[in-house]
Amino acid sequence: MTRRNRWKMFFPIAAFAVALTLVAAGCGGGGSKSSSTTSSSGGGSTTASGGKTFPNFRLAYDTGIDYLDPALSYTQEGWEIMWNVYLPLIGYKHVAGPDGATIVPYLAQDLPKVTDGGKTYTLTLRKGVKYSDGTPVKASDFAVAIERDFKVDSPGVGFFGNIVGADTFSKNPKSGHISGITTNDKTGEITIKLNAPQGDFTNILATMFAAPVPADSPAKDASTNPLPSTGPYMIQSYKPNKQAIVVRNPNFDAALYNGNVPSGNPDKMTIDIVGDDTVALQRVISGQDDYDYHQIPTDRLATTQQKYPDQIKVYTPANTYYFFMNNRVAPFDNLKVRQAVNYAINRDALVRIYGGLAQPTENVLPPTYPSYKKHDLYPYNLAKAKKLIAESGQKGASVTVWNHDRGNDPKATAYLTDVLNSIGLKAKEKIINSGVYWSTVGNQATKAQIGFADWFQDYPHPLDWIDVMLNGDRITQTHNNNYANYDNATVNAKIADLKQEPTLTDSVNSQWATLDDTIIKDAPWAAFLNRQFTDFFNEDMDLSCYVNHVLYVFDFALICKK
Amino acid sequence: MAQRAESEFTLDTASELASAERSTEIRGRSPWFLAWRRLRRNWVALGSLCVFFAIVIACLLAPVYAKHVAHTGPNAQHVLEQITVNGESRQVVSSGGYIDKKSGKPCVISGPECTLISAIPIGPQWFSAGGRFVLGADAIGRDVAVRLLYGGRTSLFVGIVSSAICTLLAIVLALLAGYFGGSTDFVITRFFDLFFAFPVVLLGIALGAALAVNGLHWGPIQLEGSNIWIPTLIISYVLIPYVGRPLRGQVLSLREKEFIEASVAQGARPWRIMFVELLPNIASSVLVFFTLIIANNIVLESALSFLGAGVQPPTASWGTMIADGQQLIVTRPWLALAPGIAIVLTVLSLNVFGDGLRDALDPRAKVKIEH
Repeated sequence: MTRRNRWKMFFPIAAFAVALTLVAAGCGGGGSKSSSTTSSSGGGSTTASGGKTFPNFRLAYDTGIDYLDPALSYTQEGWEIMWNVYLPLIGYKHVAGPDGATIVPYLAQDLPKVTDGGKTYTLTLRKGVKYSDGTPVKASDFAVAIERDFKVDSPGVGFFGNIVGADTFSKNPKSGHISGITTNDKTGEITIKLNAPQGDFTNILATMFAAPVPADSPAKDASTNPLPSTGPYMIQSYKPNKQAIVVRNPNFDAALYNGNVPSGNPDKMTIDIVGDDTVALQRVISGQDDYDYHQIPTDRLATTQQKYPDQIKVYTPANTYYFFMNNRVAPFDNLKVRQAVNYAINRDALVRIYGGLAQPTENVLPPTYPSYKKHDLYPYNLAKAKKLIAESGQKGASVTVWNHDRGNDPKATAYLTDVLNSIGLKAKEKIINSGVYWSTVGNQATKAQIGFADWFQDYPHPLDWIDVMLNGDRITQTHNNNYANYDNATVNAKIADLKQEPTLTDSVNSQWATLDDTIIKDAPWAAFLNRQFTDFFNEDMDLSCYVNHVLYVFDFALICKK
Repeated sequence: MAQRAESEFTLDTASELASAERSTEIRGRSPWFLAWRRLRRNWVALGSLCVFFAIVIACLLAPVYAKHVAHTGPNAQHVLEQITVNGESRQVVSSGGYIDKKSGKPCVISGPECTLISAIPIGPQWFSAGGRFVLGADAIGRDVAVRLLYGGRTSLFVGIVSSAICTLLAIVLALLAGYFGGSTDFVITRFFDLFFAFPVVLLGIALGAALAVNGLHWGPIQLEGSNIWIPTLIISYVLIPYVGRPLRGQVLSLREKEFIEASVAQGARPWRIMFVELLPNIASSVLVFFTLIIANNIVLESALSFLGAGVQPPTASWGTMIADGQQLIVTRPWLALAPGIAIVLTVLSLNVFGDGLRDALDPRAKVKIEH
């Protein structure tokens, strides 16, 4: 699987989000195209009534947009914009809280019919769906999208490797087709055959990489010449590092989607890319922009909260920050050394280093998952850590602590380096540019001993965590996501077993929790916190319409003005 | 009674005469003596030199201060520690998140009784905490005063050593280009031009960023990316033409003087002419350049470190300290102000002294670093 950008893929605090879901019930869609919409079942309304539209929503965005092409974007910044632009066959409910993880039909009439022991997925395209340029969406456009992913070397191709024929197609994507995808443009039927059952494949079909695109879409980055959209909005223009303009899709009809896709409140979104977080905050305070995408600077949080308490939203997305320890490289090939690091770090101290907006953790899985069961395996104990280092015979071993140079993260490394030195190792820091950090530590040739990492979900499923980052069978030479090179045959076998499970029942969640416990006892990581983030709005915005989604975070389409 | 005749010459009269002559003669003064006489009358320049030496001595005493006053090292974190200030216990870094307005304890669920605050490090305690955290703590609870002194050692080391290397290489290149002329001069001058084509800071960032990742591995030189010699060498390297070019001009001019022609006529070899005849004649300029370029290099080091292309963490330098302090400039301005003031004082003292030295050595000279 290709490396993912682990930017802000967010998940709200359950209790906080439930409250938001309730307030969100009073607002939502009602865009100019749809005359009326209905509430989606369970959870708050997404596209309730009209009358909430307004001309322009101005955003002070950050510089994290990589692409605005559904096949290429792999950042929260890109996905957050495109969620309401390019619709997959199935997608997530536009509601806050845990219910946002529910998958509903988008371009498909229903959820996929899974047969053949979990190896065949069948969907049917809705009738009457059009692209923003007026051309009808065809069933074969789904196959076009998946094949285009391979042609443009999308970071999402790894998700589709289990489709029959994908492996062959990937070797020569310029000719032929993926044999496991068959489509019928007349009936709208789409059939996908897998090599083996895959429990998270429904989630994968809900990713942006699976959003149908026209057959004539170029096999190259289309960010600045945006592809026609299927969602309520379309990208009118995009100037990298400057501005993106998103406007309503004239051919979108919310009535087709049974309330699953809102028509949106803003008629237009002006997304200005602002590099500096203090400048972005000031633009929103002064009324130049409506929304600050950036995290409020630590230095300004208290005063901002004091002056504008009703304009800040704090949320906890699904994320885990951790230090990986390379099991293949000394001294971290020694269990006692890895455990010593876990005992030596004080997670409360790290929370303070991140400005206090975080919760300490020892788990792999985030606390918002039903499979989360809090560990208390490594209470802070410096004396025990020193003893373990002495017992391991690695006292005085040289250690290089890796990190990138962005945000608060280097401070965590400075802390860790001091801690490692205090328990008897000889540690020094290696800070490199954030643009090359992940590929550097994900390259086996680097032999990175220990370093910082974080993970934000691609989709809400434990496989996106444990399978991607801790499955020894998925260790690669380059672009390796398993930075710890953790390879436990029992764990690998259990992951393979759980991968077959089509749904996350209580029993399955319990097994994931046990697996999390087993892994942490092996201490390939020293997980330390789940971070919280802020959204800030100017006083003209009506935050009773604010919806924070489990995956796509703040739902731009549903915001409204006072 | 016998009287001494007027014309009688004795030993006493000879010494008296000699003494009288000595008191009226105009003594030969070396240029260095004259320069020193002029310099010692310049109280502002000498005062600046004293300030610079005071900074150097303070920085050299950093380990003493750290051990006996602050009781901590430059990289030791104290995030969760509490210190006693005027008999009251205070956290080095406060807790953040949602805090109960009355009790100050974390709120489980946010509500009207809670307020959102950031974890903020302690501010300057001056001497109310027994010498600990005199200038406060940074975001990970490190003592700013200790880091300021250690940072000064780093910045001064980089500034002085890089200036020495830069000046040395510039002298050699200037002597070669100025004395030999022709194709040697052409090659060296084009080399200077190549460097002039890039803004110094941009060139420094480019080299610094590249070498910080991979280190410098060139023959016997094997330096890790975090090695302090990397920014030192980069700064030496990028400023060579700014010293070398004016010196070359002076050498070209001296090359045509009679004393050089005389040396050539006497059969002196080129190295002797360059290093024995020409070098002493540009020494005063070299000395002034060296003084001024130290100040320049300290600023450049700070700029590169601020931008992440100079001294690498956790090593303290004034530039990295300003970068760390920037994020807390509103609530804890001393984090950035302290190293900023240190840079200003150091650079100002060196520049004022350098100007005084230039005036003393050659008042007509227009030696300055321009880029």
